[in-house]
Amino acid sequence: MRRVKKEPINMNEPQKKQHSRAIDPELWVDRYGDYLYAFAQSRLVDRTTAEDVVQETFLSALNSMKNFKGRSSERTWLTSILKHKILDHFRKRQREKTPNDLGVPQDNLQQSFDDKGHWKKSPSKWDTNPKKLLEQKEFLRVLHTCLEELSGRVARTFVLREIEGLSTDEICKVLNISATNCWVILYRARMLLRRCLELNWFDTSPDGAS
Amino acid sequence: MHHWMFNCREVTRMVSESLDRRLPLHQRMGIRVHLFMCKFCSRYRKQLLLLRAVMQRYTESDGSVDISESLSPTAKNRMKHVLSHHEDGDHRH
Repeated sequence: MRRVKKEPINMNEPQKKQHSRAIDPELWVDRYGDYLYAFAQSRLVDRTTAEDVVQETFLSALNSMKNFKGRSSERTWLTSILKHKILDHFRKRQREKTPNDLGVPQDNLQQSFDDKGHWKKSPSKWDTNPKKLLEQKEFLRVLHTCLEELSGRVARTFVLREIEGLSTDEICKVLNISATNCWVILYRARMLLRRCLELNWFDTSPDGAS
Repeated sequence: MHHWMFNCREVTRMVSESLDRRLPLHQRMGIRVHLFMCKFCSRYRKQLLLLRAVMQRYTESDGSVDISESLSPTAKNRMKHVLSHHEDGDHRH
């Protein structure tokens, strides 16, 4: 025989409880921890730092819980806090790091062209359907690896431009670089990624090149 | 010397820059003339556009979450601990 649990039902109490449960910070960790962690990782934040920024996000959410009006979902709210934390982290890193890869982007790029400025290895024909590409887990993995191979400064600039969609001006402010420098870094990032994807996906996968 | 005749190296740089700002007229013209004649740089341009499209969807696709590692149980417990202590009135942070 199964027993049916009987609990006193109070029409007002459960509603109140539910409301307070909706902002139970410890539940955040189980509910949104992995998502936020993946979000940070896709912005090329390394694993240890990703843990830190997620924790900082929860703490600052806890402190500003009053500001959460429930207009957006909890996840959206936490994500927007995390975004700011990532920008702060970028700023900090940019200041800390010795600018060893500053302004000398030619070394790597020069390999792509001969003395006359012609392609040394001409770009191959790609199957250019973004939707189809992203459906393939293996492609995502290759893309992620290629992104991780970008050096810190190049990666940060590229992430701000192509994932966060910031303008040149905004990027220059966050990373404290000149506009010209920004464009050169983005050029470098695109050249490197193009070559990495071509080598590891489009030239190898049977359905990569068409 | 035709100042609007650019080589592939120059064109690739300008094509990239055109994704970040509006280029001066002579550069836009130069790119167009070059791309008309050069199939490799045309491919390159298409590839950069693909890269942009892919990056915009990349973080929204569930796949990018799948390939990332998830938080370790240790990290989760640590966070819960920090959060609960914070709630208890520990405002030293």
